[in-house]
Parts: sequence; structure tokens; C-alpha cells
Amino acid sequence: MKRELERVEIPDEHGARERAWAVLSSAFAKRTPASRRSLHWRPALALAVVLALVAAAFSSPGKGVVDRIRKTVGIEHAAPALFSLPSPGKLLVRTDAGVWVVQRNGSRRFLGGYREASWSPFGRFLVAARTNELAAIEPNGDVRWTLARPGVRLPSWGGTRTDTQIAYLSGRSLRVVAGDGTGDRVGCARRVARVAPAWQPGAPRVLAVAAHSGSVRVYSVDTCRLLWHSKPGPVPTKLEWSSDGHRLLVLAPPGLRVYDARGRLLAEDRPPNPARDADATFVGPENYGVVGIRVRGGQSNIFAPRTLFHARGSLRQVTASPDGRWLLITWPTANQWIFVRADGKRIRAISNASSQFESGTFPKVEGWAR
Amino acid sequence: MRAARDERARVRGAQRGSASDLEALFRMHWPRALRAAYLVTHDAQAAEDIAQESFLAAIRALDTFDRRRPFGPWLHRIVVNRAIDWSRARRLRSEVELGELVPASEEQPELADETLAALARLAPEHRAVVVMRYLLEFTPGEIAEALDLPRGTVNSRLRRGLDTLAEEL
Repeated sequence: MKRELERVEIPDEHGARERAWAVLSSAFAKRTPASRRSLHWRPALALAVVLALVAAAFSSPGKGVVDRIRKTVGIEHAAPALFSLPSPGKLLVRTDAGVWVVQRNGSRRFLGGYREASWSPFGRFLVAARTNELAAIEPNGDVRWTLARPGVRLPSWGGTRTDTQIAYLSGRSLRVVAGDGTGDRVGCARRVARVAPAWQPGAPRVLAVAAHSGSVRVYSVDTCRLLWHSKPGPVPTKLEWSSDGHRLLVLAPPGLRVYDARGRLLAEDRPPNPARDADATFVGPENYGVVGIRVRGGQSNIFAPRTLFHARGSLRQVTASPDGRWLLITWPTANQWIFVRADGKRIRAISNASSQFESGTFPKVEGWAR
Repeated sequence: MRAARDERARVRGAQRGSASDLEALFRMHWPRALRAAYLVTHDAQAAEDIAQESFLAAIRALDTFDRRRPFGPWLHRIVVNRAIDWSRARRLRSEVELGELVPASEEQPELADETLAALARLAPEHRAVVVMRYLLEFTPGEIAEALDLPRGTVNSRLRRGLDTLAEEL
């Protein structure tokens, strides 16, 4: 059999080899070895968390992710359309036209011209914001209720099956309303930064918000008691709790920080200028590993947590599936979405991401829910 | 053993920027990479692209490559997975573009070679298993790991592949 396979004639085999070598030697000559000093973990980190993060990066699934992501660089044979999601659940996607829901089987539904949206904690509903309206919507597009408020932005829905709350910004004020649309009130902070608040899973009505100073402030919203706050610094662009509520990821470009539930700084990434961390998320079976995107000039790196590979152009977002088994990485430069299974053993690339949503701009993933 | 040591030395040299070590790795592994891609895709142009892109990916990842791992199997694994992805994508394209004109480059090639023609009777995923086992000399366990398949599936694909090839040849 081996002999049979080896004697198959390949058209222009010699030419292919010479062309390939010309391309490879040229690429090799231009290659810049990756910096091994690109992450600066504070020496005073809590050791256990550092070990958890490092373990996530260097063992399965972390290392597997790395291997598979490398393979996507320059992928040219992506599927021409989003035929299905690789994992149970549904995606919430925002484009310049509005908000879409993508079901597991790939079917897409346009929900209307909302500018931001997020899933309810169990994915049964979503909350969406227009300029002067907050709306709770079912994934099939039925509107459950609306609330007129000025300058509505960045809604976030949290809570338990029987008690949910929505936090959102109205202008620069934080407001909170019950999941059934009742009891809308001013939240605990008058002037907050433009970043979506984050409800702490497993804790009744505990909310993280970012202040203008860059300080992260965590409140018990029923009493407005400030539970803890961080030092001022760069203004966060993303707040995300781990699924068990024990860790808080604060993306504050150019870097990111991880706190425990009591506000102790556990880990910090401070990339060297001019690099910046563009996005990050918790990932992995215990949900304490961090996968992030670092952009530097015309290149992007995925790190988990150290720099692992280069991609031309910008990788923008990384989102974990609800079961933690898949990552969705968005790549505007290639107009592609890349699904990578968290154990690194499967990969799917989808081309023409913008045209999937009839959009002139690259779609933003707002969430992946059960 | 000596070949493995030599390969590790070449990888180390390439990591340090030695073009001659890279060329040695290329000469060592290109023929099988191209052949594996061609046997799975049955498209010479695609096979060249896939093998070339796989090497480029390897160059990009050189700095973080673990030298204790053998380079060849790692590269060939990338090649075969990409070849399967390409074959699947072609199949998907032909479904969604049903009724449209198929560009000449996407037509099935005339398979003059009888081994190639026999392989064409197998699905790309099955071809990949046969190619990995008999051309690249992976063990069934290694194939199962590389393609994320149960070991039993690998064995059944191998058996079916061999039966089909035996009938044709």
C-alpha cells in the first residue's frame, strides 16, 4: 500500500516544491522571533491563581487551544457560511443594522435596530437597548416589555431563575430594573464609565461597575453598600465574572486584571507599549483560565496567558460557549469567525462574516447563551 | 534515533534563525506533506497551497514549538487536517451553489492513476485515515488522536478503505 501511495504521480511536483521554498524562505527571512517578555505578571500574585492560569495555558485544554489556533492563521478554505454552531446554545450578534439571534442550526433572526443587547442568565430572553428604550425580547423576536428612558446603553441581565435584575446605563447613570420590567430605579452609582455592568453569579444582587476614574466598584444593589473597589487606573472596557462568581476579569486596555470575589488582585497583565489587550475571557473546565487577544501594530496574538502566535491584522473578540467547550474568535481583517474547541481538537472557520448578517461592518458577538 | 536527533538539531537551528536548517527541514518533510495533501484532496493546486500554508504556519509557530516533539508528525497532522477541511469546504460549496455554474477548477479531475481513482471512491475523511496510516506511518492510536476520532472508527475506516482499494486495484 505504501508503495502504491508513493508512486502516485503529482502534477508539477517539482515546480510546487520550488515555488513553496521560494515563499517559505522569503517568509523566514522576514520573520521576527516572538518576544518572550511580552507579559509581565506581578511578582506578588497569589500563587494558587498564577498556577491555575499557567496550568490552563500549558495543559489541555489550554495548550490544545494554542495548537489549533495556530492552524487557523492564514486559513483560506473556511466554510462559506455559518451553517451551524459547533456547540449547544445560541449567539447574540450586533451589526450596524441591529441585533440578530443565531440558533444552533445556523438559522438567523433579525430582532430589530437595537444598538446593544445581552442574554438573560439562562438564555430564555434577551435585553436590548435603543437610544431611548430598553426592551426585553424573546429569541423569536416577541417583545415582552419595553421601558422608555433617555440614552439607554449597555444592558446586563443577571440573577437566578426566580429573581433576575437588569442593570443598564441611562446617560452616565447606572439604573436597575427587575427582569419583569418593574421597579426601575437609579442604581448605586451616579456617574459611571461606559462599560456594561456585570452581575456576580451565585451572589444575590451583587453588581460590578466601572467608575470614570477606572476604579472597579462592586455593590450590593439592594442596599447600595460598596463591597469593595479597586484603585483608579485605565478605564475598563469589559467586566466579566467567572461562571462561579469567584473571579472578576477586568479588561482595561492596555492591560487586564483578575480579582477574587473579595477584591484582592490576583493577576495582572501589563503589555509593553504599544501593545494592548483587545479582549479576554475566562475559559476552561474550572473557568479560571484566561484567553486573551493582544494587538500590536498590524498583528494580533492570542495568549493564554503568554504570547502564542501571530496573526496578520486584528483579532477582535474571544467568546466562550456556555458549556466552555468552544471559543469563538472574530477576525475582522480576514472577515472570518473561527470556532476552536477548547480541547484543541476541532476547528471551524467561517468566511464572509459580515455578509452573513447583511452588514457593512464586521459583526460583534454580544453573547453565547444556553 | 539519529534521524530524530538530527531533526531536533535542525529545529533548534531554525529557531535560532538558520536558513540552512530550515531548508533541511523543508527538504525532509515537503514531499510527504504535498503527497498527503494531494492524496486527500485530489487537487494539485489545493495540495500545494495546503502544504505551503502548513509550512508557513510552522514557521510562524517556530518560536513556541516544543523541540521535544517530533516535527514531522506535527506538520503532517496540520496538513491532513487542512486537507480534510478543504475537502469538506468544497463539498459544502457544491451544495450551496447547486444550480450555479461550477468553475473549471472545482470540477472533479480526471484520475488517470488507478490508485488515485481507487482512493476517489472513499470519502475524504476515509482517505485521510488511509494516507496517515500507510503513507505517513501513523499508528491507529496516533490517527485517532490527530483526527479526534474513536480508535474503533479509525480501525473501521482503515478496514473499509483497504477493502475498497483491494476491489479497485
